[in-house]
Amino acid sequence: MVEQLLRLKLRLLGNAFRRSPWRIVALVIGLGSALGMALVVVAGLIGLRFESASAASRGVEVFGALLVLGFVLVPLVFGVDDVLDPRRFSLYGIPTSSLATALAVSALLSIPAVAMTLIGLAQIVTWARNPLALVLAIIGAPVIVATCLLCSRVSISVAGAALSSRRSRDSAGLLGFAALAGFVIVFVLIYRTNWLQDGANVLATTANVASWSPFGAVWAAPADAAQGHFGLALLRELIALVFLGLLWLAWRTLVKVMLVTQPRSSEGRSYRGLGLFRIARVSPGAVIAERSLTYWIRDARYHASLIVIPVIPFLLMVPFLIIGVPTPVLALIPVPVMALFLGWLVHNDTAYDNTAIWLHLASGTTGRADRVGRVVPPLVVGVPLLLLAAILSAAVYGSFGILPALLGVGLGLLFTGLGLSSVGSARFPYPAVRPGDSPFAAPQSVGTASSLIQSLSFVVTIILSSPTLLFAGLALFLPGPWAWLSLLSGLVLGVLFLWLGIQWGGRIFDRRSPEILSASVRN
Amino acid sequence: MDSSPDQAPAPRTPAKRTTAAKPAASRAATDAATPARKVPARSTTDRSTAPRSTAPRSTTARTQTPRTQTPRTPTARSTSDRPASTRTRPKPVETVLSLEGLVKRFGDTIAVAGIDLAVESGSFYGIVGPNGAGKTTTLSMVTGLLRPDAGRVLVHGVDVWHDPVAAKRNMGVLPDRLRLFDRLTGAQLLFYSGTLRGLNEETVRTRTSDLAGAFGFEDALGRLVADYSAGMTKKIALAAAMIHSPRVLILDEPFESVDPVSAANVTQILRSYVDAGGTVVVSSHSMDLIQRICDHVAVVVHGAILDSGTMASVRKGKTLEDRFVELAGGRTSVEGMSWLNSFSD
Repeated sequence: MVEQLLRLKLRLLGNAFRRSPWRIVALVIGLGSALGMALVVVAGLIGLRFESASAASRGVEVFGALLVLGFVLVPLVFGVDDVLDPRRFSLYGIPTSSLATALAVSALLSIPAVAMTLIGLAQIVTWARNPLALVLAIIGAPVIVATCLLCSRVSISVAGAALSSRRSRDSAGLLGFAALAGFVIVFVLIYRTNWLQDGANVLATTANVASWSPFGAVWAAPADAAQGHFGLALLRELIALVFLGLLWLAWRTLVKVMLVTQPRSSEGRSYRGLGLFRIARVSPGAVIAERSLTYWIRDARYHASLIVIPVIPFLLMVPFLIIGVPTPVLALIPVPVMALFLGWLVHNDTAYDNTAIWLHLASGTTGRADRVGRVVPPLVVGVPLLLLAAILSAAVYGSFGILPALLGVGLGLLFTGLGLSSVGSARFPYPAVRPGDSPFAAPQSVGTASSLIQSLSFVVTIILSSPTLLFAGLALFLPGPWAWLSLLSGLVLGVLFLWLGIQWGGRIFDRRSPEILSASVRN
Repeated sequence: MDSSPDQAPAPRTPAKRTTAAKPAASRAATDAATPARKVPARSTTDRSTAPRSTAPRSTTARTQTPRTQTPRTPTARSTSDRPASTRTRPKPVETVLSLEGLVKRFGDTIAVAGIDLAVESGSFYGIVGPNGAGKTTTLSMVTGLLRPDAGRVLVHGVDVWHDPVAAKRNMGVLPDRLRLFDRLTGAQLLFYSGTLRGLNEETVRTRTSDLAGAFGFEDALGRLVADYSAGMTKKIALAAAMIHSPRVLILDEPFESVDPVSAANVTQILRSYVDAGGTVVVSSHSMDLIQRICDHVAVVVHGAILDSGTMASVRKGKTLEDRFVELAGGRTSVEGMSWLNSFSD
């Protein structure tokens, strides 16, 4: 059984190389970067051999625990497609134990397993300081690999079972909110810490917590032995082995349960009436806008984007915080950044419809109506959000004289970005996450084209808004009407580019709609 | 529908039967081959299925559909059996859909190798072919979803690829394997399809409830289309295709994964639509179904039409399936499978 599944896994890996050249390139890049990162870690671990045992232990414990935790969290958040799902073997009548063993062993034939094996071997070098440390490190290497792989097997299976229905996949947005909450806590901690004074203490505390957690214990055991704490070392080794045993039991139970549980289809809740479609008079542009808004409310892919919008400015602020930039200056960051992302959000909106776009073709919808409908939701969300953010920012900055400039920059970037997106999503749609897939899943294609389009639309938006940005910059340093000039230029240029974008994008859509559909069929 | 003569002793209710089944000329020619009483093709059943005739149910079912015709008197019916009875039709026969030299290549493969076809108004046209024959590709080019490499498509005289807006107004489309906007509820999807076609709110509402009644998805109108079963999804897509009462319906595999009862209802709706002068083009690889419901058929293999015309002229006295296998290149004999008959335990 084990041999057969190993051969199947090898064949699957081999077949991955028999697809289109671009996928092979992507695969090779993925392989290379995974192994490259593993080698960097290996080099680090070997380097730690020459550090003091206590310093090395902190680094290894924190980093090791994070690695193992990664094997748990990545499948949960990104929803890995499990080629060796136990459910796929349910019709073959294989005994549970041998199937569980075979599936677990075949997980060894994967890039993460190879990377973890290298890292596991490297930590032996780090701890070859006394006999017990060496022995514990040698035992630790296979335990680390097994723990990581079983963690990911269990996590993938749980995610697969929990997210099997469409409805629960849609609520993956909840997971995003949890991530957001976690991020806020981390942000506040980073904000409150004086890094120059307390950095070392923070690391020591984290290492202490990590070394007692089941994720860090296996890394901590040889470290303790190297520092002469033999009793502690054996205790942590025991924690690691018990955790591994529990993981094995959990995996076996999951296989047993999954073999007799097929994915269920949910009935789903019922809605009354026409929802948002009641709002406006009937014109193609209006109903497309209502449809778009409905999707922004119901579709997890749009939720994911909406969650990211308020997070990004704070993420950008972290490095500035650590180097000690004063708060009033930081307060100017969120408005332009959020405006830029809001305008950029719909630059691939056509691809989000996937093949459902055929309805717009078959009904002879004009490109203009299609374009107008798609920019309405970001305007409905963006304009109030930017107004609020601009007022808050001006308050934190300490002068409301800057408010017109913030509004000019915010609205100007938003409108210009939307105009550009209207052209981009008609001319250059690239593969997006398909409807119903996990919003964090990577789309089924990779290409330099998509990242080029993404960065180009940012750069061009900024270039087109440069007068507004210039006036806003002057308003910061010079007295005079610069802030109001910035507002004026933002509104005039923004509305102009939005109108131009819709016209031009509409014409492109009229001409190229069959090609847009063909592209989405290939996705 | 089948154009073979009706020999079933099924009870009839002539007063309720509509008479405008098309094209009368071709049917009359077929009918002439046997001495049986000539009746509108719509209400006939195939020889092979005659004992299970659905005539009584179908006639009553049709009275509930939105497109129900006014009942004809028996005299009107008898005159309609003559080829010259075009006066009972709402519109004169004309070529409502014509394909001229359609070609589509994907890289080195030629998916459609020059297809010519003319479909007259009021016909129920079946397109049959094996998997990968180019049926879907052809219909995509007809409906303006896929740009042909060469050739023309005229809908009611308007070129689909030169004046798409005018041409598409006359078409109702059910594509195969394309998504719907499935985060909308059934009611919302119908509303969206209708209003994109330029219908006003009131019309969409009435037609939505009519269609929901006819197709039997009143209970599901409030649920998301993403939660529908495959058959339900097909039905809502079919309803969305006809909500703007187009001149031509282009339906790609409309009966796939639809249950028999719903399929019978859908067939009834389509028949009465054809009776009223509408034109239906369906593709399928179910020969029985096409033979039963269509009056014209085209056999597509490897991107080319091997035979087309009235059902009778294509069938040449055989069942459509036998004739199709003959045209498409014969059956492979099933030998050497004897192990399947001794179970391995």
